[in-house]
Amino acid sequence: MTGPDWLTLSIMLPLFGAVAAFILPRAAAGLGLATVAATTLCVLMMADRVAAFGAVTVPLGGWGAPLGIELRADGLSVAMLALTGMVGLLVSVSAIDAFAGDRTARQRHYFWPLWLLLLSGLNGVYLGTDLFNLYVMIEIIALAAVGLTVLGGTREALRAGLDYVYASILGALLFLLGVGLIYLQLGRLDFAGVIAAPPSAAMTAALAVMFVGLALKTALFPLHVWLPAAHANAAAPASALLSGLVVKGALYIVLRLAGYMPALTEDILTLIGLMGAGAVIWGGIQALRADRLKLLVAWSTVAQIGLIFVALARAGERGLSDSWKAAALLILAHGIAKAAMFLAAGRIKDEVGHDRIRDLDRSPIRPTLAQVTFALAAINLIGLPPSLGFIGKWQLMEGAMMAGYWHWVAITMIGTLFSVAYFSRVLAGFLRFDRVRGGPLAEHHGWSGADAAPLILAGAAVLLGLAAGPIIAFIDLGAGGAMP
Amino acid sequence: MTPDLIYGAAGLAVFGIGLWGAIALQDRMRRLLGLKLCSVGAGFVLIVGAWREPPAAPDPVPHALVITGIVVMLSATAAALALIRRLHDLEAADDRA
Amino acid sequence: MSEPLFLFDLLLALAVVAIAAAALLVRDAFAMIVLFVVFGLLSALAWVRLAAPDVALAEAAIGTGLTGALLLKTLHHLRARGMAGWEPGAAAPRPVPRAVASLNAGLTLAVVAGLGVAILGSPLRVTGLEIAVAEAMPLSGVDNPVTAVLLNFRAYDTLMEVVVLLAAIIVVWQVERGADAAPAPSLGPIWQGFARLTLPAAAIVGVYLLWAGAEAPGGAFQGGAMLAAIGLMLLLTGLYRPHPDHRATARLLFVLGTVAFAAVALLVAGAGRASFEYPQGHAKTLILLIEGLVTISIAVTLTALFHGREPAALKGELRHDP
Repeated sequence: MTGPDWLTLSIMLPLFGAVAAFILPRAAAGLGLATVAATTLCVLMMADRVAAFGAVTVPLGGWGAPLGIELRADGLSVAMLALTGMVGLLVSVSAIDAFAGDRTARQRHYFWPLWLLLLSGLNGVYLGTDLFNLYVMIEIIALAAVGLTVLGGTREALRAGLDYVYASILGALLFLLGVGLIYLQLGRLDFAGVIAAPPSAAMTAALAVMFVGLALKTALFPLHVWLPAAHANAAAPASALLSGLVVKGALYIVLRLAGYMPALTEDILTLIGLMGAGAVIWGGIQALRADRLKLLVAWSTVAQIGLIFVALARAGERGLSDSWKAAALLILAHGIAKAAMFLAAGRIKDEVGHDRIRDLDRSPIRPTLAQVTFALAAINLIGLPPSLGFIGKWQLMEGAMMAGYWHWVAITMIGTLFSVAYFSRVLAGFLRFDRVRGGPLAEHHGWSGADAAPLILAGAAVLLGLAAGPIIAFIDLGAGGAMP
Repeated sequence: MTPDLIYGAAGLAVFGIGLWGAIALQDRMRRLLGLKLCSVGAGFVLIVGAWREPPAAPDPVPHALVITGIVVMLSATAAALALIRRLHDLEAADDRA
Repeated sequence: MSEPLFLFDLLLALAVVAIAAAALLVRDAFAMIVLFVVFGLLSALAWVRLAAPDVALAEAAIGTGLTGALLLKTLHHLRARGMAGWEPGAAAPRPVPRAVASLNAGLTLAVVAGLGVAILGSPLRVTGLEIAVAEAMPLSGVDNPVTAVLLNFRAYDTLMEVVVLLAAIIVVWQVERGADAAPAPSLGPIWQGFARLTLPAAAIVGVYLLWAGAEAPGGAFQGGAMLAAIGLMLLLTGLYRPHPDHRATARLLFVLGTVAFAAVALLVAGAGRASFEYPQGHAKTLILLIEGLVTISIAVTLTALFHGREPAALKGELRHDP
């Protein structure tokens, strides 16, 4: 290892930033934004290193696995880190605007330390190669995310936050039990040891327990019940972080472990795929029924996570690589687009004064930019070309068709139809602002960082589809050591 | 029957009891207690994994992991209890209104 | 394995399981907490039987003692504010149907049984990492293997564990800030006298545990817990009353351990060394430095977690957003 240790820095910088923002609440916003920017710079340096040399490994303490803990950055890790950095930076920009003013001083003082701790935890997950360390990291993420959920302090937010705590801790403890069972079998917890392990009933049991815990944390149907309330009741920047980034932490671990599950049978994979299919359908139905904009967006998260699991189930079945990449692409696309959509929904709610879908087109105020952002994000989530979401879905369907898995193709199509239907409920209203009788339309409040940031995010998600080739190639970098 | 088998089974049972409590009970503090039982159960599994037939010394790594796990669980418990207290206050205020 | 010890193990394991179930099922909330404390202490005893005295100490002090204190404090708070939302009957907006309850129980039973069968059906474990630890011990800078794992081999984990504690106090302060002052639980004057007598002794034990951690069982977390117990006594007896002016100092003490640990981890890197890699010959000094500062942070943070609410905020900050 030569040169600065970008891996450790990308975990430690947000940590120092969180501490600074906690000690100096008045300067929290400035410190926070600077920290996120610096951390993203670290990730870019790391990306450069990975592009040049393939996977980079740092043996913390110089011991090396399995005695010590190693950090490892390969293409997939860096892609997730870059997603976190990009979304984080733009959400931070809009958070400065969203939490400006005296009324939200309390929220501002606590948003930054919590968000920076969250960033540290997420980066730690993407670089971690040790199962127990991942447990500690997901607990940091859980606590910070709960703090962000209840930032508003309303009764609904606190109730949702408490349910979230229970789900989150239980998920982490199931993961911990799996870690214990694996140690019982292998006597080590590093990824390399888990890959090399011979398949056995006990390994399958341990991995299954861990999978259930992670499914609970990432809200896979039918373990999703905590998510809609938590994501819908949080403040807009917090919702964007929760839906765009936090659920991806557990998803990423599933994606990593999916490659290490040699003992998985067709039946188990079908079960996982069916859970995903259930999420696609149930999430779609609930999104159609939702009466509030943020609730609709939250339910669409449940549906789209289901689709990612359909891709994952396919990944295990055959050849891994295509569907595995499809899952990774869908994670990236969803992370960017969903963060943009929650920010846009928050802006619409701010400007119009409410987010009841039925009455949105009766408002005299027209939040044009937020509507454009919402539409761009919807293009991604529905999967229209040329967006990143389209490429992900295309990869998934192509692989499924070639393998003759027509039922998974059908599920993907059904999910797409659902998303067209529920997003149309919102988009159709955007096009008809003529229902206000008497009086001219009021103008929206004008440009601000809070409008620009989600617009950039949503636009990036659409345009990144054009760069899908290089992205897929990058995700593959250094995968040799991690994938069997 | 060596101690590791006995306590391993007990640990799994405690985890199961905690799991049941966390998903089946309604009372907020009891659900939290269920989660705490789960963490002790997982601790049992790790410590059993460290045990060696005497006179061999046990494996210190799982011991360290469990100590870490205990502190982590206390942190989560404290946060959850703060939420429970605050929520109770808000609900009590609503009832009075 | 001698017969009486086998019998002891069996009875202890049965007691642990039975009391765990009883704690969840007992109707009275106070009894629930008492049963939980008994459960925790018996578990710690079982861990002593499994040759894990350090862990038993941590579980007794932190997992049982402090958790029990937190539960009691919360119960006190809920009872002081009326019982709504607390007693089993009143708490449930809709009682769980019997079918769902038995389904849950059946499901849990199936999961646990499945795990048991799967584990017993597989070849029993290989050796763990004890050989690797034994080989690396001379280089670790400490004599207690558990301390070596916590503060050297897996120091990264331990740093993150301190961060979890920091995250917890930030969440607690955020959640309870603006809550009007609750009637703090307090002890009578007799207890005050008792506390005055025992506090110095407890402080000495805490410092000793910290020092002893380098060789014998003990260490930062147990030492921190012991010092936190002193903090609890100070709060309960009213010998110390948190004041808004102390908030800045408290924040500094919360983050002290994290900052020192992370700074050392980064600063030792370079000249061919990775982060967290202590230079030859300086390991013991650095570990004692980190341990000392982390202990202070742990003790203060644990005490603050027990106190809960951020010391009464300034008037302008008291209002909650609607």
